[in-house]
Amino acid sequence: MSNSIDPEILEAMAQHRTSRRRFLGMGGLALGGLAVGPTLLAACSSGSSSSGGSNGITVLNWPLYIEGDEPSTSATLKGFTDSTGIKVNYKNSIDGNESFNTKYQATLEKGKGIGADLIVLTSWNAAAYIADNLVEPLDATTFPNKKNVISRLANPSWDPGRAKSIPWAIGQTGLAYWPDKVGGKITDVNAIFDPKFKGKVTILEEMRDTVGLTMLGMGTNPTTGTTTQMLAAVDKIKKAREADQFKKVTGNDYTEDLALGDTWIAVAWSGDIAQLQADNPGLEWVIPSQGGMLWVDNAMIPVGAKNPEGANKLLNYVYDPAVAGPLYESILYIPPVAGAEKYMTATAQASPFIVPPATPPLYEFDVISPDVAEEVERAFVAATEQ
Amino acid sequence: MTVAAVPSRVRRPRRERDGDDTGVSARQWFTPWLLIAPGGLWLLIFFILPLFSLGRLSLEDGGLSNYSTVISDNSTVIIRTFVYATISTVAAIVIGYPLAYVIATKGGKYKNFLLALVILPFFVTYLVRTLSWKILLFDGGPVVAILQSLGILNDNQSILGSPFAVVSALTYNFLPFMVLPIYVSLEKMDRRLLDAAADLYSSPARAFRKITLRLSLPGLFAGTLLTFIPAAGDFVNSELLGSDRTVMIGQIIEKNFGKEFFRPELSALSFMLMAMILVGVIVYARLLGTEEIA
Repeated sequence: MSNSIDPEILEAMAQHRTSRRRFLGMGGLALGGLAVGPTLLAACSSGSSSSGGSNGITVLNWPLYIEGDEPSTSATLKGFTDSTGIKVNYKNSIDGNESFNTKYQATLEKGKGIGADLIVLTSWNAAAYIADNLVEPLDATTFPNKKNVISRLANPSWDPGRAKSIPWAIGQTGLAYWPDKVGGKITDVNAIFDPKFKGKVTILEEMRDTVGLTMLGMGTNPTTGTTTQMLAAVDKIKKAREADQFKKVTGNDYTEDLALGDTWIAVAWSGDIAQLQADNPGLEWVIPSQGGMLWVDNAMIPVGAKNPEGANKLLNYVYDPAVAGPLYESILYIPPVAGAEKYMTATAQASPFIVPPATPPLYEFDVISPDVAEEVERAFVAATEQ
Repeated sequence: MTVAAVPSRVRRPRRERDGDDTGVSARQWFTPWLLIAPGGLWLLIFFILPLFSLGRLSLEDGGLSNYSTVISDNSTVIIRTFVYATISTVAAIVIGYPLAYVIATKGGKYKNFLLALVILPFFVTYLVRTLSWKILLFDGGPVVAILQSLGILNDNQSILGSPFAVVSALTYNFLPFMVLPIYVSLEKMDRRLLDAAADLYSSPARAFRKITLRLSLPGLFAGTLLTFIPAAGDFVNSELLGSDRTVMIGQIIEKNFGKEFFRPELSALSFMLMAMILVGVIVYARLLGTEEIA
């Protein structure tokens, strides 16, 4: 399926997930940052941000969410500056929701700016920022293309009508496996709990990904499920771990054991598998028949932004399908902009990573309240680590 | 400990001046303070202050109950961590002491070359060194193949993911920190003491026990600290080479510190780790029975 995609593109795509997920050492950095004091760090970063004059904007985003290794070579940003005269100081500086919060949340809570006009966070975290009024509303007059957001993401419960946030990129969580080792095709998500594969399965330490897929296997819906159903899934994971079903509970490093063939089935992120397939043609990627998980990273204007108008204009530019098509073809994520596929090559349109088939369905994990999140996260850590 | 030791060392010149006030200039009086100022300030800003804020954080939300919660939730992990750190430290002594001994006493003109060999792997980053072990130890790799052909492992057993892999890697990664201090203490030992022992009809084994071992205790002590402390706090080896059955304290902290609601408990866990290491070190110093090295 994805073998038809240019390996170079695949590689570019795959780097993404690896670098964005908190790698070892990043945790240490975050820890040091917290100890010294979040404000000090925030002060450092805002001091160093030289936006392009009074007319410029500063964007903090995840790595590889724009074309090119260097944002300065991005066709999208160049086209934007050419058409509006607004310079973009674009930084690939977000490597995790939690580390971002450690750095910036305290400053934003004081109502101070962090030297950025646009930030991009995953839905559950974006919801918390909106609930705490840490972001400014988007402006429909400078951002008329907002209407182009794909319908399934147009009206989330935590941000009705997308008043304050807009999706920047969408990725998938499914299964990756070696057909030769497991003995054929896998379509059932419960394969990760099959005793036949005992000790050969890795699951992700991201609660929303692993619990979400487990819920789908149990016939419950991760988007609308109750806390009890979530905890039941955690319990299933706990029992399986006690029976040594899992080789490991992993961060982004699951790709290593998978590439070596030690792992037969892995709960995996679409971007990583795109790269691994380039080197390992036998490796398969599947969204299980019960469905897969979907995660969305959302652009928002933080409080204290110097140029919210410029930020709205950038979003408006990206939400033009003619601009979005080539951009998402290049970064290999599902475009959140309706009609963007029309501006992509036939190869990209056939890629399950960019244009996933309508079935099996993809579910976004419910944006649960902080209290419920804490309860489920705690249970998950106890089930997988302690 | 370092900080506490500083003032006493500094006070000495002042006392001398009190006794003999004929003429120590003000400049001389300030010199020691000026010399410790950079290090002292550095420790104050980057060690004492963070430690203080960590302590405060560990008492947020639950107060002291954070400590009991974190111990009961992580008891298996805590015990496992100290068992791993102890085994790898003992293994480092067993491997490192003879190595340091041979280099120091029989190394001759190759001494520096041999020492360089000990340190050589450490020109490669910690992370890459540990990752390369994965390639050695994976199921289809050379080590497993050899052990399987020798019948030591059966076809379904792996090394990667086992406690053996984690403890071996911990030992390997901290071995030079054991070898170097032992080497230094053996190297500066006066060889004539052994001649004297022989002249007095001591057997070589007895001379080793009574002289060489005694004189190398400071090196052994320093090496043990430099191995045990980082091994107990390590979060890399188990993450890369272990499984969910080899999780260590460092990993729990590293993985979960970003979650806001976990921070007070994990700060408490960090303090517990520090306290337990400190207690362990004091007990160890007592057992070695040499006051001057502690």
